[in-house]
Amino acid sequence: MSDLTPLAVFAVAAAGAAIVGLLEQLVAGVRPAPLALARAAAATLRQPLSRPDRRDGWLFHLAPGLLLIAALGALAFVPWAPGFRGIDLSTGAIAFAAALAYVTPAIFMAGWGAGRPLAVVGGFRWLALMLAYAMPLAMIITAVAAPAGSLRPTDIVEVQHAVPMALVQPLALALWLPAALAVCFLPPFDLPQADGELGGGAFSEYRGLDAALIGFAQRILLVAVSGMTAVLFLGGWQGPLLPPALWMALKTMAVAGLFLWVGRRLPRLEVDRVLSLAWKVANPLAILAIAYAGLITLLFYR
Amino acid sequence: MSDLATALVFWPAAVLMLVTGLYVFITSSMARAGLLLLASLGIEGLVFLALSSEFLGVLQLLMMSGEMVTMVFFMVMFMPDPGGLMGMDMVHDKRRSAAVAGLVGVGLALVAVLTDWPARAVGTDAPDVRAIGFEVMGRSMLTFLFAAMTILFAMVGGVLLAKYGGRYRIGAPAGEDRGGEAR
Repeated sequence: MSDLTPLAVFAVAAAGAAIVGLLEQLVAGVRPAPLALARAAAATLRQPLSRPDRRDGWLFHLAPGLLLIAALGALAFVPWAPGFRGIDLSTGAIAFAAALAYVTPAIFMAGWGAGRPLAVVGGFRWLALMLAYAMPLAMIITAVAAPAGSLRPTDIVEVQHAVPMALVQPLALALWLPAALAVCFLPPFDLPQADGELGGGAFSEYRGLDAALIGFAQRILLVAVSGMTAVLFLGGWQGPLLPPALWMALKTMAVAGLFLWVGRRLPRLEVDRVLSLAWKVANPLAILAIAYAGLITLLFYR
Repeated sequence: MSDLATALVFWPAAVLMLVTGLYVFITSSMARAGLLLLASLGIEGLVFLALSSEFLGVLQLLMMSGEMVTMVFFMVMFMPDPGGLMGMDMVHDKRRSAAVAGLVGVGLALVAVLTDWPARAVGTDAPDVRAIGFEVMGRSMLTFLFAAMTILFAMVGGVLLAKYGGRYRIGAPAGEDRGGEAR
């Protein structure tokens, strides 16, 4: 479990910041007042309790950070080469989905916190969309993990040494690709921002560094999702001649390129049409994909 | 994680989890309340991770995001003052609810302290894990499915009751009070 030490590093950072605050007072010759520091921290912590005047500005300012954390968290679970990955958990594939799940509240917070009609519409659209697509995403991960008998991404790569999962479970791949593209809120799934109709939507009020952070987080999301697609379906780092990391990079770039290429060529999808597709088609098919995965696991992978 | 790292994560996370959980009932905005609950339950996932309960922690983080976000959706839809601009109160019937909450809290704490928890470590290949799998997917399946369907019916029923005829009373019998925005 030593891979979870990053959490402890955060705790050390929080404690360290407080101690530095005390040292500053000490060095400045002021009598150290830990209580004043505690009061300042408490004032920050009390912020959610103040009554909003016009909008939840507190959520608005937290959203880009949460989006970045979710994107980086997802990236951390993608294995790039044998022994080269951020965090190695035996449930890494599910942890990847868990990190992606926090994109949803982040974008909702951005839209709701902006307190403008179009931004709120963008936030709610995103909620509805991601609730519909989160389930196929998680179910497909289960289906792909079944032959490996493990949720550890490296095990999923190893089990594809002969045949990549894309050929074994084409239905799962067909369901995964649109859902994965939707998580990155890239066109044609750019419904929360929808520049043509919502004028920036959930992100319309962000300027400067905040806007840059959101763009950065979106690109990281694309890298993470493309990398996981390569891991789950294309055999990850496995391939002849070239070094493993290069194979992985090539596959990731190919998937990312495909996503961007599709986005350039398809019109933005209508919200209600995407939702009815997700609930009436993608979700039942995902259950079918799990049943199929169970079948081939019993037949060929034991 | 080492004991020190575990402690470093566990204690601040546990305190923050309780504080955010408490905040849910003090704040006035529905979006804040729902997201604070998400924060509380997500931090609980981190506490599980710190305690080396990996699968439980990851699952908690995954499920709670979806569930709490759904709850925000419904709370904003149904509450008359979802933004909290008019200072609505999350707590009603304060004295009795405080008494019930206190009693339940003490009861749960007693269960946690007085239960004779098994102290042996269980590996991934232990027979217990297999037994739990067969129990969940076998005998208990019907119970789980029944509970799931009951929750689904309760949700659909709740929506129908709260929004009879919808916002504009479409389909309501003629002559009935056309309340809400259609009035």
